[in-house]
Amino acid sequence: MIETRGLTRRFGPRVAVDGLDLDVARGEVFGFLGPNGAGKTTTIRMLAALIAPTGGSATVAGHRLGEANREIRRRVGVLTETPGLYRRLSARDNLLFFARLYPVQEPERQVERYLKMFELWDRKDEPAGSFSKGMRQKLAIARALLHEPEILFLDEPTAGLDPEAAKTVRDLIETLRSKDRTIFLCTHNLDEADRLCDRIGLFRTRMLAVGDPVALREEMYGRRTVVHLASPSPGIEQTLDLPFVKKVERLDDRLIVSLADPDAENPALVRRLVELGADVRFVNELRVSLEDLYLDLMEGRDAKA
Amino acid sequence: MRRLRVLLLKEWRESLRNKMVVFGVVLLPLFLVGISVYMIALGEGIGDPTASIVMFNTSLMYFLLLPTIIPLAIAVYSIVGEKDQTTLEPLLATPISDLELFLGKALASVIPAVVVNWLSFGLFLAATRVVVGAVPLQALTAPWLASIFGLSPLLALFSVGVTMLVSSRASDARAAYQFSSFAILPGLVPLIIYSSQQTLVDLRLVVAEGAVLIVLCVVILYLAIRVFRREQILTRWK
Ligand SMILES: Nc1ncnc2c1ncn2[C@@H]1O[C@H](COP(=O)(O)OP(=O)(O)OP(=O)(O)O)[C@@H](O)[C@H]1O
Ligand SMILES: [Mg+2]
Repeated sequence: MIETRGLTRRFGPRVAVDGLDLDVARGEVFGFLGPNGAGKTTTIRMLAALIAPTGGSATVAGHRLGEANREIRRRVGVLTETPGLYRRLSARDNLLFFARLYPVQEPERQVERYLKMFELWDRKDEPAGSFSKGMRQKLAIARALLHEPEILFLDEPTAGLDPEAAKTVRDLIETLRSKDRTIFLCTHNLDEADRLCDRIGLFRTRMLAVGDPVALREEMYGRRTVVHLASPSPGIEQTLDLPFVKKVERLDDRLIVSLADPDAENPALVRRLVELGADVRFVNELRVSLEDLYLDLMEGRDAKA
Repeated sequence: MRRLRVLLLKEWRESLRNKMVVFGVVLLPLFLVGISVYMIALGEGIGDPTASIVMFNTSLMYFLLLPTIIPLAIAVYSIVGEKDQTTLEPLLATPISDLELFLGKALASVIPAVVVNWLSFGLFLAATRVVVGAVPLQALTAPWLASIFGLSPLLALFSVGVTMLVSSRASDARAAYQFSSFAILPGLVPLIIYSSQQTLVDLRLVVAEGAVLIVLCVVILYLAIRVFRREQILTRWK
């Protein structure tokens, strides 16, 4: 659905997006993560045929960027960084205006369908300016969907919303998953990316890492087992002599053991620890939060070290 | 062209809900018509038959001023409003073309300006008839009619072009308003010459003024179309 090769955008001397290679499949929810100024919005603007790349190429929804921009705009929907609604117009008039700019068969019916789906129907005649932030965001998402785009670009859909409104919007995005709709989600919210995305790309001007959230973490950190001990058992980490153990660290009364395949190796690990005289309280897997991964990558630290 | 119509209707729907715009488009013309009719009535009171004719003649000037002033409010808000509601980006993400967007924005101001101007003129004639008993036809000469009907669309177009250019650079409506009013003045110079010789108004002057305006409009529209490009709007407009 989205394919870019060396996609680059400069603003004068500043490079906002540098040589982006990306492949996003139909029906996939792709999370595009990066700090402020990373170039996320610039990337969306290029992919939605709003601004031209200064280098590289891209195919979006089957059309070459720069050759069939209008066709691309017909097939993609964009939730921009700010909702961008006409404050004086009613919710319904806002949507009708946009529906009529696309080749939508029955604009009135389509608008009604989305207003009902997003629970805004009761307030359809009120001016958008009187809506809460969360409602505005829902209205803006509805607007991006009216023409049933093949690709939906969401630029930080939950930024600036209170936790409850953010949850509503997140749940809504969850319901938009469909095998025919590709979703490209920009966010700094790591839990959001973890929950919603099939794959994520960590990005800062260039792509730093791409993969599904679980695999990315494993690739970066390996898998780790935490053994909680009832008594400190000093020195036990030095005496642990199993060939498959890659690394042992101690944190108070916990041992953090790096393993290649914990499912197969944990039983032998526990057996050996007991033999060495450890009182094992319980064993669990260490989950690296996406946040740690993100921060490590952004700070350029080598997470594996 | 379907999209152009959709955009025009949206612009007008929005304008009708904006007090500043409604004031500029409805109250201002009514106010000027009211003043003119009042002056003519005063002239009538003096008892000298030429007095009310002079007043009538002066009043005709308003219908060359109105088409430049009326579109200001609509054009400023249709650009600055779009900017401060941050609606330009979602709008540009639709299949609307740059030209459709430009034409929609321009016509949204030019059409009401011309229509309101002509309506005000009609109202003015009707009110004069009621107050003075008859429209002084000897003052309502062919050159005047040619100016009011022929020049007002050009005056409106010029005014809108200038306002759109200025508004694309301004982030606040009041500043855009003031700058635009200022920038329109040079376009009114021929008009001022014209009015200072109102007794000598003849068709050649009207044609000359028309020619000057056409040149000005072409220049302004050329510049404005260059500013109305997606890329430019998203990356350069403030
Ligand atoms: N119109 C522009 N002119 C000049 N520089 C720009 C322009 N738009 C973006 N940039 C620069 O490009 C870089 C990337 O900006 P962009 O808005 O794409 O980042 P972002 O990842 O969306 O950030 P945020 O999380 O803050 O929204 C920034 O350094 C920004 O200053
Ligand atoms: Mg951004």
